[in-house]
Amino acid sequence: MSPAGLAWRYVRRQPARAALGVTGIAVVGALLFDMLLLSRGLVVSFRDILDTAGFDVRVTSTEAQPTLGPPLPQATRVAAAVAALPEVREVVPLRFGKAEVPVTDGSPLGINLYGSGTREGRGWPVIEGTGLTPRADGVLPVVINRRMARRLGIGPGSKVRLTGACASVSSAAPAIELEVLGIVSFPFDRAADLTAMTTLPAYVRICGGEDPEEADVLLVASKTGVSADATVAAIGGAVPGVYAFSNEQLLDRFQKTDFSYFRQISFVLSSITVFFAFLLVTTLLTVSVNQRFGELAVLRALGVRRRRIVASLLFESALLVGTGGLLALPLGGAMALWLDGILRQMPDIPQRLHFFVLDPRAVVMHVALIVLTAMLAAVYPAYLAARLPIAATLRREVVS
Amino acid sequence: MPPSSILVTRQLAEAEHLSVGDVVSLSSDPAGKDPRSFRIAGIYEPTPDPMRLVAKRHEVRLHLPDMVAFTGEPEAVTAINVALKDADDAAAFARDLQARAPSVVAVPTEAPEDGAGPFAVLERFHRAIAIVTVLGSTAFLLSLMVMRAEERRETVGILRLIGISRRHILGEVLIEGLLIAMAGAAFGVVFALATQGAVNRFFQWRYDTTLVFVRVTAGIAWRCILLAVPLGVLAGLFASWTLLRRDVVALLRR
Repeated sequence: MSPAGLAWRYVRRQPARAALGVTGIAVVGALLFDMLLLSRGLVVSFRDILDTAGFDVRVTSTEAQPTLGPPLPQATRVAAAVAALPEVREVVPLRFGKAEVPVTDGSPLGINLYGSGTREGRGWPVIEGTGLTPRADGVLPVVINRRMARRLGIGPGSKVRLTGACASVSSAAPAIELEVLGIVSFPFDRAADLTAMTTLPAYVRICGGEDPEEADVLLVASKTGVSADATVAAIGGAVPGVYAFSNEQLLDRFQKTDFSYFRQISFVLSSITVFFAFLLVTTLLTVSVNQRFGELAVLRALGVRRRRIVASLLFESALLVGTGGLLALPLGGAMALWLDGILRQMPDIPQRLHFFVLDPRAVVMHVALIVLTAMLAAVYPAYLAARLPIAATLRREVVS
Repeated sequence: MPPSSILVTRQLAEAEHLSVGDVVSLSSDPAGKDPRSFRIAGIYEPTPDPMRLVAKRHEVRLHLPDMVAFTGEPEAVTAINVALKDADDAAAFARDLQARAPSVVAVPTEAPEDGAGPFAVLERFHRAIAIVTVLGSTAFLLSLMVMRAEERRETVGILRLIGISRRHILGEVLIEGLLIAMAGAAFGVVFALATQGAVNRFFQWRYDTTLVFVRVTAGIAWRCILLAVPLGVLAGLFASWTLLRRDVVALLRR
């Protein structure tokens, strides 16, 4: 009989034990899989959000993250200088502020207000209506997110009056009427955010008193075939006094700061779960070998080689860990949805950001760790089986 | 005129190699225009703030008149801290103040725990991980107990053969399981107590903070014991029962 057949028979002989072992490995493996997903989930998800915005470089006035640092002065001049670079396809200045919408049934409703330069094509992903395009007839356009549309009961074609609250104190500027052109999906919206985006001139009018030449960030899209790093280098060389960084650089910075807690917790828990799985399988196999010393001695006495016995134990380990590891994938997937749901309740998290994201690298790593665990877990029991004294064991079996 | 005094955080002092008595230039302009000189009067440890865990605490404290002159925003402050004679009046005071001055936002410093804060969410996440770990451990424990019971199959068969009742053997298993589970739970608590310092030191070093990350409280220790001991005992009883329900002949393989 082949070592694989022998291993299969041993496992089948103790189905309850094997089932419990596989269950334990599946649960531990699911946790391991989830921790591997968590270790890169935020990065993968954040990259996806950054990429879907359609820009690969951001320009700010300081090294601080966009929205956390001071605004970029003379943004119009800087944007023109950046747009003139041969590496650049599109530059969109962006401003972030707050505004209030008067509602009939209570105090004014606070919203996020963005001022955006003109974008190519339809611009931000449009859900209903049209994107943000300047109007020649003097009407101030605005696009809003779905939550704001539902909250105020408005849609494309509706009028909305906004009062700027862009500075730390409310603006004394009067409410400005805008026409809703469409309902748009903003990539960094949080679950409870009410967001509106208008043109830069309209933003300056709403906010009143803001410097029209300032922007919080310039969003830059490189031309096809030009890498973001090349664009960053070109901006650094051509426009002194500004900070340009690619999506990858932004991600790298987040990985070292904001995301590091989850990366570390996933590393700690991954290590513990791998060790736990190793301990579980080693214990199961060692006790299993101890219980069948007599059988192994008989097999050896009948001429079965040590190598075959060791191979059968390796197969047995692979069978338990492999089955448990495979079951861990769907189980881990379901658990990841549950855990992601919990973590996404955190305040100030963009609605589209996920902590657990299915990533092929995580699956490959999971399989590699499971295989390694199975092999290492079989080492000690295989050593016991290989070193078994045949005559003494048989004598002990007969006497006992 | 001598420069005004400021305080700098320990983190900033370490990063910029500053010490008490040094004169530093500060500017409110990103390009460093119109700098003003200040003398460092002291270095302080910033109040640990979990909400700013990953932020570098490079901060300075200025006297309010210096700050106002520095920023060029006369009569403007970000917030006013109020210490009440009776802290329990905070909510009522905030309501009263807001009613009298509608443009002011008054918030008690101790907000009611509504379960929506980041640490409440993290607690739920860790609890979920703990539940999964307990499930995995239970499967592990059960398989070990089943094997342990199987090892004792013949001994149990002989005990049954000489007339010792199932109930008596189960009682023995119960006491043994109780002792082992209690020892295991106690070991786990002692291990957590012994390693919490190392965990805290690592994360305090990693995030350059004095925040405490792990604290094994009596409540947590008791919760672990109350969960682990019954689980251990039940696993032992379950495994033994799978053996005891067989008849004596089957136990002795005769």
